Order: sequence, then C-alpha cells, then structure tokens
Amino acid sequence: MITTTLPPPAISAALTETQVRVNSGFRGTRIVLYGAIFDPGARASDVVVIVRGPEQPIRIARKAKVGPLWVNSRPVVFQGAPGFYIAASNRPLDEIAGFGVLRRMGAGVDHLPINAPAEQRIETRYGVRDMVVSSLGADYLDWRRAVVRLKEKSGLYKVDEHGVRFVDTGLFRAEIALPAEAPIGQYQAQIVLFQAGQPVSERLRTLSVEKVGAERSLYLWAHRGPWSYGLAAMAFALAAGWGASSAFRRD
Amino acid sequence: MDIYLPIAELSVNAPLLVALGALVGFISGLFGIGGGFLMTPVLVFLGIPPAVAVASMSNHVAASSMSSVAAYGRRGGVDFRMGGVLAAGGAAGSVAGVEIFRWLRLLGQADLAVALSYLIFLGIIGGLMLSESVGAIVRRRRGAPSPRPRDRRPPWLYGLPLKLKFPRSRLYISVIPPVALGVFVGLLSAIMGVGGGFILVPAMIYVLRMPAAVVVGTSLFQIIITTAITGVLQAGRNQTVDIVLATLLLVGGVIGAQLGARASSRFRAEELRAVLAFIVLLVGLRMGLGLLVRPHEAFVLMSGAGG
Repeated sequence: MITTTLPPPAISAALTETQVRVNSGFRGTRIVLYGAIFDPGARASDVVVIVRGPEQPIRIARKAKVGPLWVNSRPVVFQGAPGFYIAASNRPLDEIAGFGVLRRMGAGVDHLPINAPAEQRIETRYGVRDMVVSSLGADYLDWRRAVVRLKEKSGLYKVDEHGVRFVDTGLFRAEIALPAEAPIGQYQAQIVLFQAGQPVSERLRTLSVEKVGAERSLYLWAHRGPWSYGLAAMAFALAAGWGASSAFRRD
Repeated sequence: MDIYLPIAELSVNAPLLVALGALVGFISGLFGIGGGFLMTPVLVFLGIPPAVAVASMSNHVAASSMSSVAAYGRRGGVDFRMGGVLAAGGAAGSVAGVEIFRWLRLLGQADLAVALSYLIFLGIIGGLMLSESVGAIVRRRRGAPSPRPRDRRPPWLYGLPLKLKFPRSRLYISVIPPVALGVFVGLLSAIMGVGGGFILVPAMIYVLRMPAAVVVGTSLFQIIITTAITGVLQAGRNQTVDIVLATLLLVGGVIGAQLGARASSRFRAEELRAVLAFIVLLVGLRMGLGLLVRPHEAFVLMSGAGG
C-alpha cells in the first residue's frame, strides 16, 4: 500500500507539563498533550493516547450474606493493574482497530492487563495465611468488571472516546484529568497513530506525579520513620490540647 | 478551600472539617464525653479511609481530652492512682488492639469489626442510658423521689487479691477490675477510634463505685494515656495517622468544646443524658445498618495492599 516514494507516517507529541506537584492545595489537575501527525500521504488517521499510572496491586472483596449480616469475603489480589489508566481517542476504540490489536496494546479498560494467574493460588502474604491471590473461577469476569467499575467511579480509570481532538490538519490535542486520588509516581503516556486499523507510529512520554513541600516531608517521615513521626504527632496533639486549655482559662 | 491530606492521600474541604470538629466538640463539651464515637463514623462517611480515620482520631481524642483534663485537675477531680492503674490495663489493651486491627485489615474484615463494635456497644450503652434517663425524667415529672442508690458494692470486688488503697476515690479494692476495665477500653480505642469514655464513666460509677466528683476527670486522664499509646502505635505499625486531619478537627474541636461546656449548665442533667442516649443509639444503628441492608455495590476495593 505504502508507496516507496513517500516517507512512512509518523506521530509526535509533547506534554505541556511533565511534573505534577502535589501540595496542600492539590485538588487534581488537567494535563494537556499536543501532537502532530506527519503523513505526506494524508491517509485517514486516528490517534489513541493511553496514560498509565504506577502499578498497584488491587485488593478487592465481595460482600456476601452470612446469617443476617453482609460481610466481606476474603480479599482477592489482582496483579499488574495500573493505579491510574485513561485511554483517550478521537473516536470509539472499537471503530479504530479490531479486538486483537486493542488487546495486544492493552487499549481500553476491557483490555487492561489485569493479570490473574490461571489457577487459584493461596499464599501467605503480608503475614496473613491462606490469602487468595487470584482465582480464575466462573465468576472471574464479575470480579474483573467490578475492579474496573470501582476504579472508574473514583475517576482513576477512564475511556474517553472523544478525548483526542484534531485542532487543525494533522494537529491534535488531548486533555487528561488527573483526580486528587491519583497515585504518586511515574506515569507513562503512549501516543499511537492508527491507520487502517493498525498502529503505524508510536511515541512515549513520561510524567511524574510527586508530592512537594510539607506534604512530601510529612508523607516521607510517616513512612520512613513511623515511630518518630508517631511520637512527634502525639506530642504535638497533646501540646495543642494543653495550649488550648490554658488559652481558654485566661478568658 | 480544599486541603490535601498527606497520609489519607485525598483532598478534603478544610472549613467543613473544622466545622465538623466544632460541632462534635460542642456536643462533647455539652455532655462531658470525648466524642470519638461520633467523629469516626462521620469521617468514614465523608470518604476518609476507615483505617486512617480510626488512627487519626487517637491523636484528636488525646488532644481534646488534654484540653479539658486541666480544669478537672485543678479542682482535684482526678484520681491519679486509679487513672494510672486503668491506664496500665489500657496500654496492654491498646497494644493488643492495634495488632488485632492490623490483622483484621489484612483479612479485609476491619470494616466488619468496626461496624459490629459500634452496633453492639453503642446499642447497649445507648439503650441503658435512655431507659435510665427517661425513668429519671418521668419520676421528676411525677414528683416521685429518686430511688436510693444501691450502696452495696458487688462482693466480688472485695474478694479478689492484690488490693490497693485509692484515697481520693475512698476505695480499697483489688487492682484486677480496674486493670481489666482498662484493657477492654484500650482494645476499643484501637478498633473503634474512640476514647472509650462512654464505657469507662458508667463502669467507674456502677462497677467500681467511685465518687461522681472524680469520675470524669479520672476517665479523661486514663483516656489521654491510652489514646496517646494507641496513636503512636497506629503510626508506627500501620502508618495511618494523618496529623493534618487531626489538627483540622482539633482547631474546631477545642473551641466547640469550650462553648459546649458553657452551654451545659443551662440544661438538666437527665435531659442531657436522654438526648445523648438518642445520639448514641442513632450512631450505633446507622453504623450497624450497613451490615443488615443488601449492599448497593457487591464489591469493595480495599485500600493499599501494604499500607
């Protein structure tokens, strides 16, 4: 199809922001991505932008009725799930490419590589015995769908069928909404050019979400020196209580 | 104005939390209670992860108890020896409670434990308080004299070994009941995120038979020690204490508590107790309701795999 006289089509993109700073006023943010398609052949093109957050194992439980009470089942752990995931495109993904292509690329929440081992594995994890790491039972799909549904509800997973907009010939723009609950860490944006249902060019961009200032210091202190943090936090609380009582005594 | 909580890892409305602290502080000043049993459920309802809410409440309860214990101390309303014995039990209870809570969290059953504890303990305490205070109100309306308090102390309190003198409480009893009471309250403080005053105060009056003048001050003293230990352990073992959250609640809490304490003199004691009993029952039932009603969403995500 591609004539030898024309150079192959290529895609290029850049994030307007490569570092998201989480400080005390952080309420989530929007990241804007601009890009261009270079195709002398001017064939019909589709653009898919996939942003993945750091991997986070997911623990999910199902409520079941035990006697009169609704209680959680043993949590099941799903491996390999990203802590944040958005697939934005200029039209619905299933119109852009076929099932197999999307699955290979992990494009769309239905094709997320949330890995469940082929058989049920019971391990000792986090000091707890008999934890079901993952079970591929008959209702495996229910569990998987529940993971996606709950993550979508909290704004952490999203498929945006019109998230990529062409602003001019060959020039596109995508906006990624990052909620305040988005995990801290390295994110990867994968920008893919599709032509005739096949990926023809791809760019990777990285994005880091990190805590800054007092939030960062407190978080690091609480996790690296939990005992000294605990003592200091309690000393502060007791001093504040004592201070308040003396302040009101003078009244 | 939203503020990002560094440990809970979400952003909350700061004025709302301060107002919530003030409201709960007002109620706690009005009734002479810690208010943890009210605050923890509201925080969970606002979307704070239960583990963070429970742990951060230890810091909040310690601070608010600290702000009111000074007044009792000056009036001689604290039996430090009894408080120390209770706190020794409380320390053991809170160490065990933090470990139990950690284990339950890994099993995915922390929510169940919290909801069940609220349903059972608040249900019992609220029910008892309500019947007692309504009885008192009815008697007063009829002009009937209040029944003579049974002065006979339970004999098992005296049959036990390891007796100790508690001059300020005018007691000479075995240390086993107060230590056991302390252990129990320490456990609850770690699992429910409460100070435990709602159990301690009635137990000190009806079981240990301490004079009313030292009960509240001594319970506050014991709550400070127990929650201080719980708070440090929660931070050390579970990394779930959010000091920003605790501080926001505290700002409103201390102001509300002072206003509540001033307002309390305008009401009759038994009427206050009846209202408090209603609140206690309501919170207990609301927390327990989630266990009895078919959930809207059958699946639930557990917060972070490790912490």
